[in-house]
Amino acid sequence: MADTIYFLILVPMVYLAAAVFVVGIVGRVARILASPPHGSTLRIFPARRASGLRALADTFLMPQARKHTPVFWVFLMLFHLAFLLLILGHLDLIPGVGLMPADSPHMLGGGAVGVAVTLAILYFLLRRMQGPVREISTLGDYLLLLLLLFLALTGGMISWANSWNQANGGFVISKQDFGAYLASLLRFDFASPRDLLPGSHYIVVVIHVFLANLFLMVFPFTKIIHTFFAMPLNRLRRG
Amino acid sequence: MEAALQEKLKGLMASKLSREMRLYLDTCARCGICIEACHAYASMPETRYTAVARAETIRRLFRRYFKAEGRLLPGLGETIELDDAALEKVHETAYTCTGCRRCMTYCPFGIDTQMIQGIAKLLLIGADREPKLLTMLADMSIAKGETIRDTKGAFEQAVRNLEAEVIEKWRGEAGREAIPVGVKGADVLYVALAGKHSIIPAAAIMNAAGEKWSLSYFEAVNFGAFVGNPEKTREISRRIIDEATELGVREVAICECGTAYRVMKHQTGRHPFEVISFVDLMERYLRDGRIRVDRAKLDGSRVTYHDPCQMARNGGVIEEPRRVLRELAGDFVEMRPNRGENWCCGGGGGLVAMGEKDFRMKSARVKAEQVRATGATVLATACENCHTQLSDLNEHYGMGVRVAFLSQLVADALVQA
Amino acid sequence: MADHEAVKVLDLKGLPCPMPVVKMSQEIGSVKVGEVIEVHTTDPGSLSDFPAWAKSSGNQVLESQQDGGVIRIFVKRLK
Ligand code: SF4
Ligand code: SF4
Repeated sequence: MADTIYFLILVPMVYLAAAVFVVGIVGRVARILASPPHGSTLRIFPARRASGLRALADTFLMPQARKHTPVFWVFLMLFHLAFLLLILGHLDLIPGVGLMPADSPHMLGGGAVGVAVTLAILYFLLRRMQGPVREISTLGDYLLLLLLLFLALTGGMISWANSWNQANGGFVISKQDFGAYLASLLRFDFASPRDLLPGSHYIVVVIHVFLANLFLMVFPFTKIIHTFFAMPLNRLRRG
Repeated sequence: MEAALQEKLKGLMASKLSREMRLYLDTCARCGICIEACHAYASMPETRYTAVARAETIRRLFRRYFKAEGRLLPGLGETIELDDAALEKVHETAYTCTGCRRCMTYCPFGIDTQMIQGIAKLLLIGADREPKLLTMLADMSIAKGETIRDTKGAFEQAVRNLEAEVIEKWRGEAGREAIPVGVKGADVLYVALAGKHSIIPAAAIMNAAGEKWSLSYFEAVNFGAFVGNPEKTREISRRIIDEATELGVREVAICECGTAYRVMKHQTGRHPFEVISFVDLMERYLRDGRIRVDRAKLDGSRVTYHDPCQMARNGGVIEEPRRVLRELAGDFVEMRPNRGENWCCGGGGGLVAMGEKDFRMKSARVKAEQVRATGATVLATACENCHTQLSDLNEHYGMGVRVAFLSQLVADALVQA
Repeated sequence: MADHEAVKVLDLKGLPCPMPVVKMSQEIGSVKVGEVIEVHTTDPGSLSDFPAWAKSSGNQVLESQQDGGVIRIFVKRLK
């Protein structure tokens, strides 16, 4: 029974989540593009040269946040940078991508990025639980942060367990094992993940993947969509 | 609330869902960076006065009726029903926000709270709960487009009666009208307000520059925009556009009224003429040496400038007033923050017209403190609304300044060649 | 030009935009239907504002007089 559930989470649900993610985002963008344009400018002044570049800088460096909430900005930058590295690190697990040497036992960043993301999420949670930010927060805001927190914690555990690999051969799941799992997913061969991921903390991997699936599935329908909308919005402001 | 009304309001909301509006409604991260941006919150820290809380009221209605997730999971704390209580909230949020868009300079996405309030204001009109005064003023402006033929004569007569006061400030050439009206082929059509204070100084300045100008029959202010009625906003600007096209003017100069300028400059599309603000015109005259001013007039005064939100941040008239003031005053100081980041005076969005004195004074405490910190004795500005609000603040907080229009300062300092 | 029997005189000289019309619309409710308010102002715009306001609000401007810089407008409440 448990094995079936684990299989469902690790294989079909991953496909489902990816499909919801893509269809959701396409649908959302299509809905926006299908709406009539506003017609007049929404920019603010003073006008600066190279407005396109400035919109780019606004999107990726958040100068407004740096100016008005500097501590928050440090954690925001930390979070987003580390998150980007985590995405790269996960892609790097796929055999042949090769951001890290193929025989390296470590993920990109060697666990530090996971710690950085976790710290940032904890800061976001604490910040949200106090003062005026608490009053503008919704249940959904906390649920999302908790989802991210547990995603990061389980990921961290897996990464930490990885580091034991050499000393305790066979006890844990190596980076190459995850590579084989991802390759199998990409081949759509529906191989049993249990055979590819032999470690005793298999359940942690299952939870991690389950949470990641959830994250992908809520992505298009929550404020995380700002990933895609930040740039067009900043262009509106810069004119 | 009756089902029919609810349907009507939903329809109105749908009519506002442009691409940009959807982006704004979809994106807020509720990060709260904008919290400190609003002068109302900075003056009286209540969550409901933050940009995010204001927009959230509208977002919750939007999610409830226009988003699958809101229909499926209304319980996640992110939706509300469209009922009487919601409309109360919508009213509060719309008419405690001046539409200054200062929060846009804080938000990492640049979300436009004023634009979102556009939904709030339209819902209130649909439910017949908008401030009736603003609708009344907008209707008056529109009616004027029709009655103008009958009242033209009297208006022209009244304008003649003002000419002596213009000549007091500037002796023009003999035989030239001090306030020309209906001049075909004029270079500049000047659009004033009803009050003579918005006509006399401007007339003196344009005469001093030897401008070929004409006074518009209409008033610049657009109450359709204040009450958030898109059709009325269009009709009100149309009168002026038609007049300018008929006279064949090159430029339309809008008097010192922020909303009038922004609507005409940025929200009415392209025209066969240029839209400028009267501040631009004064700056050009000074730069080209067409008028000269006597700095002695402001000797001993420390002058500061309040950037009207709709002129500066939302209109782009920022450096011109400063160049004018540097010509006029030896002691010009900036208030901080300034330019695109200036604090709103607290009078915009129709609040001055509506009265609302108590709220206007309380919500603009930061403005009073900001002005006081400059040590200025003269507070110049370039917007009728701001002028009224700043004068009220001056009295209420004992700021001890003289509030003055830029045009008034220039006209008083004109040097007769 | 016979003066009209005004029951109330409003001095609206020198007020900022849009106060003259705002005050007028507030005061019209204080007189009875058929009665007349006399307005004093110095704004040339009032000469077109008040008739336009009367038209859109369903009242009537009986007459306006100009005496040098001062404008006198007589408004009758119709409803
Ligand atoms: S537009 Fe101005 S008044 Fe409205 S919420 Fe933003 S800062 Fe406050
Ligand atoms: S700063 Fe922008 S994204 Fe953050 S809460 Fe305010 S409006 Fe929302």
